[in-house]
Amino acid sequence: MTAIEPPSLRAAVPPPASAADEGWAAPAWVPTRALGRTVLLTGLLLVLGVALGRVDLVLLAAPFAIGAAIGLRRMPRSAPELTVDAAEEHIVEGGEVGAGLTVANPDVIPYDLVVVRTRTSPWLDLPDADRPFAVTVAPDGWTAVELPGRATRWGRHEVGPAAARVAACGGLLACRPVVTPARRVRVYPETEPFAATEAMPAAAGLVGNHRSRRPGEGGELAGVRPFAPGDRLRRIDWRVSLRTRDLHVASTLSDRDAEVLLLLDVLGEAGASGGVKGRASVLDTTVRAAAAIAEHYLQRGDRVSLMEYGSSARRLRAATGRRQYLTVLEWLLDVRADTGDQGPHEHVFGAHHVSSDALVVVLTPLVDPRSADMLAGLTQSGRFTVAVDTLPAGAAPPNRSTWTPLATRLWRMERENVLGRLREHGVPVVTWAGAGSLDLVLRDVSRLASAPRGR
Amino acid sequence: MLDGITRRIERTRTVAARATALPLLVRGGIALAFVLALLVAWPSALTSTRYVVLLGLAGVYPAIAPRGRGVTFAVLVVVGGWILDTTWYDARVALWRVLSLAALLYVGHTLAALAAVLPYDALVNVDVVGGWLVRALLVVLISAVLTVITLGLTAELAGGAFLVATLVGLAAAVAVTLLLGRLLRRS
Repeated sequence: MTAIEPPSLRAAVPPPASAADEGWAAPAWVPTRALGRTVLLTGLLLVLGVALGRVDLVLLAAPFAIGAAIGLRRMPRSAPELTVDAAEEHIVEGGEVGAGLTVANPDVIPYDLVVVRTRTSPWLDLPDADRPFAVTVAPDGWTAVELPGRATRWGRHEVGPAAARVAACGGLLACRPVVTPARRVRVYPETEPFAATEAMPAAAGLVGNHRSRRPGEGGELAGVRPFAPGDRLRRIDWRVSLRTRDLHVASTLSDRDAEVLLLLDVLGEAGASGGVKGRASVLDTTVRAAAAIAEHYLQRGDRVSLMEYGSSARRLRAATGRRQYLTVLEWLLDVRADTGDQGPHEHVFGAHHVSSDALVVVLTPLVDPRSADMLAGLTQSGRFTVAVDTLPAGAAPPNRSTWTPLATRLWRMERENVLGRLREHGVPVVTWAGAGSLDLVLRDVSRLASAPRGR
Repeated sequence: MLDGITRRIERTRTVAARATALPLLVRGGIALAFVLALLVAWPSALTSTRYVVLLGLAGVYPAIAPRGRGVTFAVLVVVGGWILDTTWYDARVALWRVLSLAALLYVGHTLAALAAVLPYDALVNVDVVGGWLVRALLVVLISAVLTVITLGLTAELAGGAFLVATLVGLAAAVAVTLLLGRLLRRS
């Protein structure tokens, strides 16, 4: 009778790599073609010298052998260390950027040649960053390559990935390329000066900077009325009281704050961005205008929230103060055009997400029909909506055939039609032009807000 | 075909526009060293004819493609010419020719090793090329001293050249074998 042997089990965890495998995988240093050539020529010349009895051939081989002996008397053991340095401080587009590459040599022999190269974002104007740099690094030392330059557009721009290839021992040994991941530089948008003097259409909170239409504790004089129980004594207008021989108090309008929602249409990008001093694309205008509007209202003490109209529907909760301004700038850096076909779903974005008292500023190029629908929907639901047209003036599709200009004209006419219909529905549409852009439309919205609401 | 040529012309134009001075000088040094070595090694009867153009091409090619086998080929052409001149044409093994050949071949070889790892459009620190040349000069000096001593010894022995070559060659072969064995053990 034979005993049944248990089936052999396979270890679930792969066995650790053997030392021999590690020994072959680990070396980062490989012989170059120059080393192969040295060995070949030395051997050949020696053989010829011995075979032909020619000492001069042996002497011709001497420099090769001496060069190899001097070069390989000490061998490198560890791989070089490469780091990418990028500026951490707040940089505004058009500002100076400090980037650099540092190669460290942890070995005991010098690196005869280190070729360092890096990729950089096209929006970082770093002179000569597209070229490789050839430097030497002393043993146990480091060498830095400075890459000063300028950031030409807002966003998170990458410096790297960087790679270094080292040659040592007189070029007889070379290191496999060492690659370091990229570092990101945050470049904040340049905010165009923006000021809106018009009152907010609606105020939400009980405190704030905007005079409301309701009487209450505030700074704005609303009128003088007879004293009533409950009025504060310091509100008594003594001059009027003496004249009328009856107590009168000065009534004021209460101060309120307001919520501003900046809705960024990211369904499409149009126009080629030319950087900070060049032509602005849709997203450039959107981001810069959003930053300017947010800065303006946050400085006035209002609460500002942001939302993307796209498939991701990112949003930033409403808050106030300088901290919120910095958060807004950080949030704006991640604005990307929505290239996917998947549109914003109703459950992701809807009028119910927007506070009924908030002033909604929609920054949109009005290229996608869904944007116009969204605007009409917001207005119909009674939100105070202002649309800022962010389409660049000369934006046109690339000329593919003789029919393109005609198609462009048709498209422009259709867009004008959409704009007209939006205005008919009570959505003011204004082209972004920096300071005072929104004054006229805000006046209209305020007037609408003062009218009784409801349909 | 036409596309390929156009692309190649475009690439050459880009290379010419982006190339920097020091890598170009290094490649110029390679060409100069090999052309001079060819002129020194090959018999003057051949170098004064139109065949010199072919030799020039063999000398310049390593400068254009330092990563390829062109460098080994150029060195072999130089050695072949030297053997041809000293055997077929029965030229005398002059000290200056051996010295300059050894120096030029090594300089061409080591500059090709540098050019192989130095991109043509790199911004190069001067100390990279300076240090490289100093090391090459040191090797050339040591081998020159060795050459002078050995050739002097051969002249004194007067006819014992075969014996000296055999001894030096065997010693060098043993040294190279030891060196290679040590390298393999390290890697």
